[in-house]
Amino acid sequence: MIVTDAALLEQALTGAEDAFTALYRRRQGSVYRFALQMTGSTAIAEDVTQEAFLALLLHGTRYDEARGTVASFLYGIARNLVMRRLDRRPDAELEYVDEIAGPEDVLEDLTRRESIEHVRQAVLSLPPVFREVIVLCDLQDSSYDEAAAVLDCPVGTVRSRLSRGRAMLAKKLRGVAVV
Amino acid sequence: MKSGDWVVTALRALAEHDRAREAPEEVETHLLAAFRQNRSKTRTRRKARTVGLATLAVAAGIMLFFAGLHPPLKQAAPTPVRPQPVEVAAAPEPMPIPEPKATPKPRPRKRQPREIVTQFFPLLDVAPPFERGELLRVTVPASTMRSVGLPVNEERLGDRVYADVLVGEEGLARAIRFVSYE
Repeated sequence: MIVTDAALLEQALTGAEDAFTALYRRRQGSVYRFALQMTGSTAIAEDVTQEAFLALLLHGTRYDEARGTVASFLYGIARNLVMRRLDRRPDAELEYVDEIAGPEDVLEDLTRRESIEHVRQAVLSLPPVFREVIVLCDLQDSSYDEAAAVLDCPVGTVRSRLSRGRAMLAKKLRGVAVV
Repeated sequence: MKSGDWVVTALRALAEHDRAREAPEEVETHLLAAFRQNRSKTRTRRKARTVGLATLAVAAGIMLFFAGLHPPLKQAAPTPVRPQPVEVAAAPEPMPIPEPKATPKPRPRKRQPREIVTQFFPLLDVAPPFERGELLRVTVPASTMRSVGLPVNEERLGDRVYADVLVGEEGLARAIRFVSYE
């Protein structure tokens, strides 16, 4: 029988190390990737992952199952930590915009690592409000409802931001492909 | 292919590429160390809280015990009466009203007969503000009861009765009440 995240969290908060370890191993990857795809920095992604689970340990009693999943709760914590770091380096989100250059047809070369990195840089160049929706829905496979819970906004807002974010990405990547 | 479709395809490729990426093992090591430290702190806090509550409970029990040994002070009646000298019994041969069946020798509380007390009668017409004081158990002539308006048989005016005298910290006898046993 699979123990739910909520049950693991409850046990972890009573001091069960096994439960905490299990919950960490189950969810650390998605938190780490979210932070990495939002910031483009492995160092920040490591810090955010560690701090997010520490925060879960210290403030996990605030988790309300009625408001979303433990994964959403963790994403919410990670998102706040990421945003704090992005605020500290406001120029970071633009540093890769002009560096997008490469193959004429992005789709043909997506298998190549270089092209993957171009897509990553294009995502990183998006304004954070669009970037986080792209990261959650397109890269982390979160549902619109989950993303809305993480971002604390209506589902309709998630849809519209996702649509606009993809359009912006298309523009950035098409420009690269055409040139 | 629509423009949106190939963007989604590109993003899927990125997601697939990143799928295996995870936080390094050091993060887990640090977190587990923090977890153990936090658990240890929590246990210490719980232990301290338990000891604190137990101490409070013992203190409350002691207070209740001592509170139970002394009769509660009742509000003095507002009727002013002339002050009477209060004589503290040296070696009393008390005559309670009605006659007590047991001697006033201290005994365990359960065996003592139940006390019946009157209200307090003030002994001063104008008394300074009362802050602290003591309650003294004394014997007085039964005539003292008459002086505060209580009825006493003529034949027994010379008998001695138990009384509690409230003495302020300044040494003034402020009020008196009379005690008998059931």
